[in-house]
Amino acid sequence: MEKENKILEAIKVAFNVEGHIAREKRVMITANKDIVSSILLFCKNQQGYIHLNHMSVVDRIEDGKFELNYIIWSPTEKVTIMLKTFIDRENAEMENIDSIWDQANTYEREMREMYGIQFPGLIGRQDFALEDWDEMPPMRRDFDTHAYAEKTFYQRPGREDAKDVREELTKQSGEVIPDFAKKYSRE
Amino acid sequence: MVREKETTLYLGPQHPGITGNMMIKLKVTGDTVVRAETHVGYLHRAFEKLIERRNWLQTFTILCRFCVPEPDPMELTYARAVEELENREVPERAEYIRTIVMELARLQSFMLWYAGQSGSAGLYLTGQWSVGDRNYILDLFEELTGGRIYHMYIWPGGVRRDLPKGWKDKALKTMDYIEKRLDEYNKIMFDNTIFQKRAQGVGIVPKDKAIEWGVVGAPLRGTGIKHDVRIDEPYCAYDKLDFIVPTQEGGDVWARALVRQEEARQSINIIRQALEKMPEGEFYNKVPNPMKWTVPAGEAWTKTESVRGEVGFYVVSDGSNKPRRVHVKGAAYTNGITVLEKILPGQNIADVSFILNSMGVCPPEMER
Repeated sequence: MEKENKILEAIKVAFNVEGHIAREKRVMITANKDIVSSILLFCKNQQGYIHLNHMSVVDRIEDGKFELNYIIWSPTEKVTIMLKTFIDRENAEMENIDSIWDQANTYEREMREMYGIQFPGLIGRQDFALEDWDEMPPMRRDFDTHAYAEKTFYQRPGREDAKDVREELTKQSGEVIPDFAKKYSRE
Repeated sequence: MVREKETTLYLGPQHPGITGNMMIKLKVTGDTVVRAETHVGYLHRAFEKLIERRNWLQTFTILCRFCVPEPDPMELTYARAVEELENREVPERAEYIRTIVMELARLQSFMLWYAGQSGSAGLYLTGQWSVGDRNYILDLFEELTGGRIYHMYIWPGGVRRDLPKGWKDKALKTMDYIEKRLDEYNKIMFDNTIFQKRAQGVGIVPKDKAIEWGVVGAPLRGTGIKHDVRIDEPYCAYDKLDFIVPTQEGGDVWARALVRQEEARQSINIIRQALEKMPEGEFYNKVPNPMKWTVPAGEAWTKTESVRGEVGFYVVSDGSNKPRRVHVKGAAYTNGITVLEKILPGQNIADVSFILNSMGVCPPEMER
């Protein structure tokens, strides 16, 4: 774990943050949102972690927070750093890092659309995958998919009497639906 | 100075360059691309949202649909993440079977790539042969897993069933056949002047920028950089097998094609070795009743090498019987959006689909 310890200590000394080695080739760091971009720049420019592997967000609705994860990788050390930070769920805003990695732009556009996190200065089209979406960002935990579907879509005319095809077929054929299948019926 | 008129050309959402739907808005002068803007959203099925409402095992029915041409890496990457969260051991035999499945998946995907890449250059015969021969690999999958395309065969703790009787011999014979056929595909595709002229010097990814841009897979190895998850962070039984990770210089479509040509051969080599070296024993470390199965709270990031490049899964558990978050990073997420937008300017319109194929663009894994 020499390489992992080396980068962990370098980040700890430079930024006074918490961190640990989760397993071989996995270094986990938790930092305040204000220093995330500085840590990423430090890792990229001074430690050789030049590859942005992934950016992800987890909705911690019970804590009123979003958990943001930046996963970066070094082609020379072959070690992955997972940098975590928390931001408030209300008026969620995070520093834009597409000036550090261009491809961060795609991740940030998606996070803006799916979770409603704003990235000031983010260049790019408003929409990533959803066009003209004016509802709550759909990946938030409190987005009610069922209510949305009920409100937005309608039963196709002529099919009102065929809500459960299986039941209709059973009536016609006299076949008995086994219990395990009934469990998943709409009723 | 005379300024040429700029025209907007909408390429897609359905076109021959890719599997799935995706639109590329091209600004062109004459037949040269000046600017390219990718638009996804035609395939969004909210898979990641659906997964949050499924238990840990039900998720598999969704995972394989992230990328139709190569669904198995999705199953494996997720299964490995769950195993990491649980500290679940995987029997050695299962690791070998997983390796074979992964390489069969790569091989059948290479054969689809042969079809797409040669077809977009106007050489249809290669595709007709390779897609036809691909069915022999799908036959193997059907016998092993019950499904031809979607398998749901790799589960946390191992694989769903052991190799059927006689499957090993059938697989070895299929490999002998495919190996001979690869020579024939290469003769009509790589030795063809049309393909050479279309592929050389087109769609160049610069070596000095490749890693920083987030390029993965064959497009990265086509620039001369030897990065492959199977070597850098070995999983399954890859660290017990001998194989070569091919690289080429140039970063163009030709270099990427040469890399894939050799990788297909290496897949056959790996399958043969794994079949011979596979130990006897258990193939599944059984998980508890799926309806009551809870996974300890935590997070895991696992990576697997697919034909298109690195596939990553970020999986979070809150200790319940459902994943809290499963975030998929397919190879095309960078290769097919930001990287593509950088390499298309300056190219001929006719080469756009050709370049899309060589970058392994797969829209379903971009907008999960």
